[in-house]
Parts: sequence; structure tokens; C-alpha cells
Amino acid sequence: MSNDFAQFQETFFEEAGDHLAVVEEGLLALEQHPEDLDLLNKIFRSAHSIKGTSGMFGFNAVAQFTHKMETLLDLLRNGQKVVTPHIADLLLKSTDCLKLLIDAAKTGSAVDDKTVHRLTSELAAASDTKVKAEAKVEKENRSSSSTALASTATFLIAWTPPEWLFQRGLDPLQIFKELADLGTVSQVTVDTTKLPELAAMDPEKCYLSWTMKFETAKDRQVVDAVFEFVREDSVLSITEEVKGKELGVRGEERPSPLTPDGLEGEPKPLGEILVETGVVSRETLDHALAQQKRVGEILIEQHAVTPQQIEQALQKQKQQGSTAQSKKSETTSIRVDTDKIDKLINLVGELVITQSMLSELGVRFEMSQMPVLLERMAQLEHNTREIQERVMGIRMLPIGTAFSRFPRLVRDLSAKAGKKIQLVLSGEETELDKTVIESIGDPLTHLVRNSADHGLEAPEERLDNNKPELGTIRLNAFHAGGSICVTVEDDGRGLDRDKILAKAIKQGLVSEHEKLSDDQIWPLIFKPGFSTAEKVTDVSGRGVGMDVVKRNIEGLGGAITIKTALGKGTIFTLKLPLTLAIIEGMTVRVGKETYIVPLLSILESIQPKAGAMKTVVGRGELIDVRNTYLPMMRLYDVFSLQPEFTDPAKAILLILETEGEQVAVMVDEILGQQQVVIKSMEQNFRKVDGIAGATILGDGTVGFILDVRGLIEMSRRIVPVAA
Amino acid sequence: MSKTALVVDDSPTMRQMVALTLTNAGFKVVEAQHGKDAVAKVAGGPKMDIVVTDLNMPEMDGISLIKELRKMASFKFTPILMLTTESAADKKQAGKEAGATGWIVKPFNPELLLNVIAKVLPA
Repeated sequence: MSNDFAQFQETFFEEAGDHLAVVEEGLLALEQHPEDLDLLNKIFRSAHSIKGTSGMFGFNAVAQFTHKMETLLDLLRNGQKVVTPHIADLLLKSTDCLKLLIDAAKTGSAVDDKTVHRLTSELAAASDTKVKAEAKVEKENRSSSSTALASTATFLIAWTPPEWLFQRGLDPLQIFKELADLGTVSQVTVDTTKLPELAAMDPEKCYLSWTMKFETAKDRQVVDAVFEFVREDSVLSITEEVKGKELGVRGEERPSPLTPDGLEGEPKPLGEILVETGVVSRETLDHALAQQKRVGEILIEQHAVTPQQIEQALQKQKQQGSTAQSKKSETTSIRVDTDKIDKLINLVGELVITQSMLSELGVRFEMSQMPVLLERMAQLEHNTREIQERVMGIRMLPIGTAFSRFPRLVRDLSAKAGKKIQLVLSGEETELDKTVIESIGDPLTHLVRNSADHGLEAPEERLDNNKPELGTIRLNAFHAGGSICVTVEDDGRGLDRDKILAKAIKQGLVSEHEKLSDDQIWPLIFKPGFSTAEKVTDVSGRGVGMDVVKRNIEGLGGAITIKTALGKGTIFTLKLPLTLAIIEGMTVRVGKETYIVPLLSILESIQPKAGAMKTVVGRGELIDVRNTYLPMMRLYDVFSLQPEFTDPAKAILLILETEGEQVAVMVDEILGQQQVVIKSMEQNFRKVDGIAGATILGDGTVGFILDVRGLIEMSRRIVPVAA
Repeated sequence: MSKTALVVDDSPTMRQMVALTLTNAGFKVVEAQHGKDAVAKVAGGPKMDIVVTDLNMPEMDGISLIKELRKMASFKFTPILMLTTESAADKKQAGKEAGATGWIVKPFNPELLLNVIAKVLPA
């Protein structure tokens, strides 16, 4: 059966993810409204579902941890505990930990036991201590009762069920059957004294009671379990008979089905025990732990290894970690609204109808039917286009999933930086390709961090400048033509033109004499290594700069722009393609071949003057474009073609840019502009340098899509002999 | 003749797991997302041999569902199992008062589910 269950694991992880999001969102809201019972119930329900389902899949670590969270949540819900900032914080941290545990269950990787342990004990401490004590007692009971029995035993059972037994769908017969399955029932007597006259009898009530002797090899617990559903409401005594002598009467207690508590079973870390017994305080322990050195540091101090060796080993560890993880978890799935699928099926139905009408027309076609044919063709085109749109739609997810991490992030950032920040989200419902959504998370995080740390001023500074103390970061998403725009906006101090310029000059990015417009200055912050932050803080400004953000966005075929006003704020706008499967391309011709150049990377196309080319030893051919020399590539050289023109003055040069680098590519002719569907080269053939993929052109032939990044790299590598 | 079970849970994973376990054990399974859905699905419909329901659900919770079902003639004596947690002792009491036959403590494994069902299901 286990295979059948494996197929649900994926659903479980998706569902758990949803529940985690609910829990996290709820906890954040709870901080604002600690009294909101509905909210608590919602959080509890989600936590509860995670616990229930994870247990069924055998993810016991997850189930046990969630159980601890749930216990605390339950106390909050019942009003036995109040939501304090400490508890809210603890629950948020636990949610993070739970996330890790679930990820670990998914990938089969190891979890940092220390964190889990620490949080588990913190959760237990925050929950009523009585709960713990009860669990212990219960456990002791269980262990003593399970050791008490040997081979077969005889029980004397006297049972008077409640009158309403039948009304709960219970049947005494079932219980006797179950007993008979477990052992031998003998000497059964039935007491009918309570049975009223026939006329007064309610057939839905149970008036009987029984006594019997029951011999079994089973555990006492198993016998008790038979009466599980009726015990508390019946008059029931089960007594064990040994050598004619009766052992202790066992009444109402029940064996607990509670899974053994992981905390009690495992030894605690030394530090925890010292804290619990009051030998040291929590602060002292944390302080001591902070001083603990890592093995690498110790080895370096002992001169056993060099720092470089450690660095290499760490790199290796990281790689192994990441490959192991990616190997295991790479079956991605997507959940699609059934509505979308229904519509698609409907459309496919229409397509089939159109197709059959066309083939019928084709069987006996006459020229007079031309208008009909054209009409059907138009219908086919309509069907196809709509199906294409809908299929794309399946990959579309609301961007809200990428936004959902920010309330938490901003909360943590504002606490850390001592600023008051509110986050305003809008346009969460805007749909975007799943891959794009997954890839913009990190760049967005960086931008939000940047806004919180550098953009927004400290509260005092804001008040001095007549601004509200509370700073605002806005995240918005909206459709703009064939693209999606995502903006990250803050009402902070804005970019400082002079500061950026001074820094850029200092770093040699621009010369002192250049006259730059604002629009030329802002993009300077995307240059590698550029950071105007005067001090490096914990939050941002630690090497991973805006250049990475820009590179990531451009890697997705998007663009990033800045709008800013000093003292008023900054808006970063990310323009992203709707999908990665289709690009807007310009078709160009070289000899008889057609190539597609991604439109986003084309800066301009020029026809150079005869004297504009220079050949520089070691750098190949260069072309003078308004006093800037760019490397020039003859596409026919790169792909060994027979061109129409070999003289650049007659041909056309496309100036392409990616990640701030430019290259001039020589082609014979520009044909036009069209959307193309990218087909992978690696999957259908193999990787070819300078080619990003292939597509089927309108006339059915294959066209190659140029890889601009690759071409620039080739222009550096291949140094052609002077032409 | 195969028996029919009504499985009520708002968590799709849990519901599917229970349903799958029962299907594998030869039951015909009717699934419902919450109490209201369940009531709508059995109203005037086929008689169920057993009901397995979660307690915490939107729209109509498990306790109310059990009360509703017990009011119907066709569910008067039908075994109704509720899925509960060890932390919800009061829920168990409420469930019994509403007319629940028995309970299964979450998390449980499929075998336990089938064992409990065998316990309350008349042959």
C-alpha cells in the first residue's frame, strides 16, 4: 500500500506549505491583534492539519514538533495563556523551524537538532508545566502496565452499558465479537432484571448487562481497548484472575494513544540541564556557547591547516550539500485551478470540431468553397491562439506567493534597525509565470532590505524632516503591455546624486569631466562593488550588491529602472516577461540563414562608416560607435556561413548589450520582429556556443536564437586574426 | 456487497488518505469537505455504512454534523467515527454527547483506521 501513499506525499508538501503560510501570516497579524480569537483558531487549525497529516506520512519529527506548537496555541485559544511578544516571537521562530523540518522530510536531509531541541523546550516551557507532568505520569503508567503481563491471563468482566448505547451507533454484539477474536469468552451471564414490560420498552435503548470470563494471551491494554468507546459511560470492571486470586481492580484509566514524547526520551544537552537546575543562567549559557569555536578556527589556530584549505573544504561541503538537495527535490508540480482545466478541455473540444470540419472540407474540395475554407482557417487560428493563452495561463500564479514573505521580513528588519516601517502590498493577484515568480524572490528581498536599511531614515531624522515617523515600503505589481511590472517603493531619503557621483569617480567608474544626466547616474548603483552605504550593517551592504539584483532580473529577460527624488523616496521598477517560454525577438538574416536576436538585448542597429573599424592586436576587431570602441563580431565567421556582405560598411551592425557589456554583431539584413517559442538546444541536440535555443519559424524552418551573453564571451576568447 | 463510507475532512490530504485507505479495503467512498457539504451529499442520497469525520472544519464542524446526521432516520444507528487529537478531551465528550460512535486519535496510520472501523462496523 505504501506506493499509493507515496503519491500523496507531494500533495502533503504543497498543503503543508499552504498551512505554514497561513500560520505565519496569522502570527504576524496576531501581534497586532493579540485578542483576535478567529485568528487564533485559524492558526490552530492549520498547525493542527500539519500535525495530523505529517503523522500519517510517518514524518514524526514534524508531527511531534507541531504538537508542541499546537499545545501552546491551544492554551492561547482557550485563554489560559495570553499572547505576549515573547510568545509570538517564539511561535514565529518555531514556524521557521517547522519549515526546515518539513523541507528536511521532503529532501531527506538532516536538520539542526540543536535548534529543534531548544525550541521544543522553549515551547514546553511556555506551555503550562502541568501538561508535561501529566505526560510523564501517563508514560510511567503505561510502562508499568505493559510489563505486568505474561503468557495467558483470565479476566472477569462485568459490564453495564449506558442505556443510549445504540443511539451512538454502538452495538454490544460488536464488542463480544472483538473479544472472541482476541481470546475465549466463557461463563457469560446476562442480567435482564432491568428489562421493562414490552409495552413500556423503548427499542432504541439498551437495558441489558453482562458478566463473563475472558481468557486471552493479549496484553491488558488490548482488553481495555475493546471497551474504548464505551468505557467512560459504562459501569465496567475488568479484573485479572491469577491462581484464583484477584489482582488490582482497574477502573477508568485509559491507555494513552499519545506518541511517545521525543523530548523525554532523549538526553538533553548539558547546557540545558545546567540552566534548568539553576546552576547557570540562560544568558551565561548563551554567552558561553557564543564563544565556542568552530573546528576550522581551532585547526587554523593550531597551524594544522591553512585558512585556504578550510575555505576550500567549506566550499566543497556547500556544493555537496546543494547538489544533494537539488537531486532529491527536483520534481516540481503545480496546482491548477480546476476552472482553468475545464476551460482548456472545452477549447480542445472546439479545436477537434474545427479540425474535423476542415478535414471533411478537404475530402471533396472545390474552388467555390474557398470562402468557407478561409472562415474555417480563421476559426482554427482563433482556437489555437486561445489554447496557447490558456496553456500559458496554467503556469501562471498570483505574485502574492512571492510577496508573502515580506511582512515577516519587514517586521524583522524594522525591529533590527530600530525603524518604524509599514509594508503596503498591492496587486498580489497579478499572475506571473511560476518560474519567474520563483526567481524574483531573492532580487525582491534584496530591494526590500535595501529600502528598509538605506532608503528609510531613522525615526528622529524623519521627524526632523517633517515626515511621518512611520516609514512606508510599498510593493506593487501590475500588467503593462506584454510585461509585468513590480515596483518597490519607499518614502525615504532618495538617492543622493552627488554622493553617487563622488563614489563613482573615486572607484574610477566615470571620469570627473563627464557630464552625466540623472538617468545616467542612477544606474551606477548597479555596478559591481558599488555601495554608498557609509557603514556596513547587518541587514545589507555586505558585498552582495545591487549588481546581483540587476543580473538576476536580466537573466530572466527583465529590466530594472530607478526613479528617485532626494528627500522624498525611491521607486525601483522591475519589468518582467510574462513567461520564459516565449521571447520577443528580431529576425535577422546572414547569407541564407535566419537568426533571432532577443529584442531586450538590442540597443540599436547602425550602418557603420567605412573608416570606423580598427584592428587592435590581442582584441580583434573594434568598431567606433560615437567615440566608444566596441568589439565587433562577424556572425558569418562565428557560424561559418557564406554571407552576402563581408564589408561592414555595407552590412548592418546590431549593438547588443547584456549585463552592462556591449558587442557589435554584423548581419546582412534585418527581417522583422516576432514572438518566438524557445525550444531547448540541449534537450534536442546539444549545447552550441553562441546559441541560446531554437525555434520554428513561420515557414516551418528552424531558426536559432542568439545567446548574447555567450557571444560576448566568445568575442573575448576568440581573437581573430586581422581581417 | 461493498460497503459505503462517508469521509468528511477539510484537509484534502487527510481526506484523500482516509478515502484511499478505505477504497483499498473495499469500501465505496463518498468524500465531503465539511459538515454542510456532507449533509448536502447524504440528503436523500444513499445510505452510508460508516461515517468518518474530522472535527475542526469550516462551515459546519464535526460535532454539528454528527448531531445533524443523528437526526436523520437513515443515520440513527450508523457508526460515526470522529478524527480527534489527544489534546481535545472536551471535544471527545462533546462528540459522544452528539452521538459519535467512536474516535480515532490523530495522527494515526491506515491499519489503525481499519482496525477501529472493524470494531464498530456491523458485519
